[in-house]
Amino acid sequence: MGLTQALLRVGAARPHVMIVSVPGGTAVRLAAVAELRRRGWPAALSPADADVLLVAGAVPKDLDDPVEEVWRAVPAPRARMQAASPDEVAAVLDRAGSLAGDLSRQRAALPVPRDPPDEGEGPQAGGGPAGMQMPGGTDMPGGMDMADEMGMAGGMDMAGGMGMAGGLPVASRGEDRDGLKLDQLHVPLGPFLPDWPAGLVVRVTLQGDVIQHATAGFLGVTGAGRSYWYEPWLRAAAGDGADADEAARRRLASHLDSLGRFLAVAGWDLAAATARRLRDESLAGAPAATLEPAIRNFARRVGRSRVLAWATRGLGVLTPGEAVAAGVGGPALRAGGDVCARYRQWCAEVAEAAAVLAGRSPTDPGMLEGPRGPLAGQSAPSAGLVAVLPGLLAGAEFAAARLIIASLDPDADELAPAGVGAAHGG
Amino acid sequence: MNWPRQEWERLMVANAPPWAVLLVPVILAGFAFAAAAADGILTARAAGGRLTGAVAAAPLAEVARLLTGQRRVTPAEDRVLWRSGLIAVPVAAALAAVVIPFGSVTVSRMSVGVVWFNAMEVLTWAAVWVAGWGANGTLSLVGGYRFVAQGLAYQLPLMLALICAAAGAQSLNVAQVVTAQAHVWFAVWMPAAFAVYLAAVYAFSFLGPFSYPAGRDLAGGVMAELSGPDRLMLQAGRWLLLTAGAGMAVPLFLGGGAGPLLPAWVWSAVKTLAVLAVLVWARRRLPTIRADRYAELAWVVLIPLTIVQALVVSLVVLTRGGVQL
Repeated sequence: MGLTQALLRVGAARPHVMIVSVPGGTAVRLAAVAELRRRGWPAALSPADADVLLVAGAVPKDLDDPVEEVWRAVPAPRARMQAASPDEVAAVLDRAGSLAGDLSRQRAALPVPRDPPDEGEGPQAGGGPAGMQMPGGTDMPGGMDMADEMGMAGGMDMAGGMGMAGGLPVASRGEDRDGLKLDQLHVPLGPFLPDWPAGLVVRVTLQGDVIQHATAGFLGVTGAGRSYWYEPWLRAAAGDGADADEAARRRLASHLDSLGRFLAVAGWDLAAATARRLRDESLAGAPAATLEPAIRNFARRVGRSRVLAWATRGLGVLTPGEAVAAGVGGPALRAGGDVCARYRQWCAEVAEAAAVLAGRSPTDPGMLEGPRGPLAGQSAPSAGLVAVLPGLLAGAEFAAARLIIASLDPDADELAPAGVGAAHGG
Repeated sequence: MNWPRQEWERLMVANAPPWAVLLVPVILAGFAFAAAAADGILTARAAGGRLTGAVAAAPLAEVARLLTGQRRVTPAEDRVLWRSGLIAVPVAAALAAVVIPFGSVTVSRMSVGVVWFNAMEVLTWAAVWVAGWGANGTLSLVGGYRFVAQGLAYQLPLMLALICAAAGAQSLNVAQVVTAQAHVWFAVWMPAAFAVYLAAVYAFSFLGPFSYPAGRDLAGGVMAELSGPDRLMLQAGRWLLLTAGAGMAVPLFLGGGAGPLLPAWVWSAVKTLAVLAVLVWARRRLPTIRADRYAELAWVVLIPLTIVQALVVSLVVLTRGGVQL
């Protein structure tokens, strides 16, 4: 007992925290990430690795179930916390740490309920909005053997959802791109994956790790609160006076946020950490004179990396014509090319924004445009980014798909009725 | 590196007493802890965090955290396969380390030590694949696939790199590979083999640029469904494999325990730590290399490169009996 409590305390002094970011929670997420870094607490990549589940922002109704599902997958000792505003984050994490280290309270909460098998979700129907599709997802590789046997015995082709394994439907088969017949897994990606746009759900049909078919959309778009990244522009549209400096800073931070996410997905940890540190420094109002050289260095190093270019070239090509047709504006349109072109565009634009801030170059008229595209238009810039996803993802391998999504980085907040849409509506 | 005869006879590697086999995992774990602690410090520094004693002790705290953690249970998991895969990874690392001489002693002087090391490392193919499959989760499964795909890319260049060292010594016995480097380290005249070997160390421990099977994009891949002691097994296994790989680089390419003044075991330790330091430092500096791209590089560039390297080594050995400066 004494030993268990002691070990528990040691572990809880440095708990792994999974931040669940929901639409409208950008400010809380940024505060939480900064606080974790200050404490040296690692971010958990999956619920299984988490001790603390920190929900950043108010959970919209249609995300209640996915959050519950993620929470069910967190093993004990564990603590679930919610921070509604950025100021609460530090206190909430303090409470979480002491809760996770308290043996008697952890024992009292046992047993952690097991995942119920998903009900009524045949492989053909696709999954519900599963949290991370971690808890077994919808289609079980464990069922593959069974499908094999049944396939042998009862003719070649199996209708989907016939076999069951462990109370779960087994995968059905389909032709793959090489003419083989492979199991198809219908997997929802999101809404809570690490380095993933808040609220985004991409439903994919996987064969091996190749995506055959994809649909994309947002969950949890409620309209409460407005887009964090577009605040200066929304204020300007409302006639509160535009501050070019603030707009440049926000756009800079938004691009660095996207770059941090992209680089993390690309597995370049050092560059991702640098992007995030610079993002937080620019949001915290660090003087432009010190910020500018650091950002210029960072942008040059990432923009010129041959290994990263080699890893991303040719993925997710979005021609300017397709981009305009889908309503994509901003950097994704200006880049007019593959994943590599898009992250290089971000790099060029952060260097440019930093130079503007430092007064080294004149304010560009382009600076008046928001981070993901201009507000003038019938739909939000991110709506276009989501619209092009299915076309870009079909045929991509899983890792490539993640890079494509990260290189577009759509933001759910823009779609909120009170977000960008309201800006040009009123 | 031209040594008097009695100096380099010191390099002759003797058999350690049988009980020393128990020390292998302990020493391996000690080096692995040092590497993980250094890694934590570099991570904290990159994020702009404070450097305290707690940061350096984080791997120990992590062990405590995982020992008290609850095991994750997934629906329709294959428990036996899953767990045996997880346990096999650290066990394979410890078994691979049995043939690594430490200073002037080695636990096993088996005549095919180089092959043994390779075989233990190949064990992880099955182990990681099964660990990814057994959890019965999509991301975990894809992570398992990825390790096998990565294996197809890194394994042949690695074997050719090992063949270079063995050909240079005209023996598969690790102790004789060390002795053959009395004059010149193999790293000096087999640079391509050495570089390919180091890349393969990342690959079989799926860390750094080869962390693809446990990638962030897969929410941890083979690690995604692991918690508590299960997670400890695989996480420790990765670092033990990295350490075993670094340790094996010393006898294969860096002259084993050879060095002036200090005892041989100190040189072994210093060289192992140096290789580990390079691996840990470089690991966060490169993006993850996806297996599809690496396979292309491996088959088009690295395999021909290591074959040419092996050819050069064979010709040198045939004509001159090795490189002697």
